[in-house]
Amino acid sequence: MLRKFVSVCEMAALIAVVVFIGMLFLNDPTAPPATPTAVVEAAGGIDGGALYGKSCAGCHGGDGSGGIGPRLAGKVVVKFPDPAAQIAVVADGRRGMPSFGTRLTEEEIAAIVEYTRTVLGS
Amino acid sequence: MTDASTILAKRNNGTFFAGAVLIGALVAVLTGVYGRVHDPASETTIKLFFSTTLHFKAWATTAVLVLVLMQLFGALWMYGKLPFGNAPDWVGPMHRLSGTLALLVSLPVAYHCLWSLGFNPDPGGSRRFWHSMFGCVFYGAFVTKVLVVRSKRMPSWALPVIGGVLFTTLIAIWLTSSLWFFRQFGFVV
Repeated sequence: MLRKFVSVCEMAALIAVVVFIGMLFLNDPTAPPATPTAVVEAAGGIDGGALYGKSCAGCHGGDGSGGIGPRLAGKVVVKFPDPAAQIAVVADGRRGMPSFGTRLTEEEIAAIVEYTRTVLGS
Repeated sequence: MTDASTILAKRNNGTFFAGAVLIGALVAVLTGVYGRVHDPASETTIKLFFSTTLHFKAWATTAVLVLVLMQLFGALWMYGKLPFGNAPDWVGPMHRLSGTLALLVSLPVAYHCLWSLGFNPDPGGSRRFWHSMFGCVFYGAFVTKVLVVRSKRMPSWALPVIGGVLFTTLIAIWLTSSLWFFRQFGFVV
């Protein structure tokens, strides 16, 4: 009886592995909102949205809806009325959030902050 | 069996084990290549009743650790390394069941790691780099272990060795993910 149950579980695991591999290749991610041209130009040609996707979306979500990091969409401007305060948090880190001051340039951090405020934050 | 045929059989067994290790290594490399080449989706996936996907992953990985500890316990019992006498009949199936469940519970965790986050290539000794490496090695070692278990033509030491590698890798995975998470955010769900 136990051996039969284990065999059924092993078969289920095999099917789960196949589904797992299939989902890795077939599940299309939701594209994060694109950075408007005006925002890119204002940031000196740096695409803050692309940088956000690489450095921030893993914790804050592709659409800024949050994850392990707090939600940014609709909140970030309220929490940081002054963009300089938000830039300081990104550059220096805070609690569980790592510091990006050594990984990104000041211009790149400014572009990401602008993206979160104008595209995600609104 | 003559000395010559015994030596030949041992050599063949070693070749089979080397083949199983190679297949496992291939799986580990392919897992890493997928994680590196695939654009991270950066999206939350399954979280069940947990606050976030990462909370779910921290606890699910801990559940896998418990199941793998059960695997170790069962293996030691079956190999007569525990002071309880011979292992009862149910220990073998329970050993298989705990291994199967460990694989099942690990899949949604690995899915978020690979699909949403990707392989972290920073070799500067960072936690995420080593976690990525151990994650790939884990599934490679798992495949090798399944091949070793299913084959009757393996050296007698092959199963304990690959089982030990699998156990050690899972410990390293837990230390570089769940333990880090619990130290950062506490034991919250």
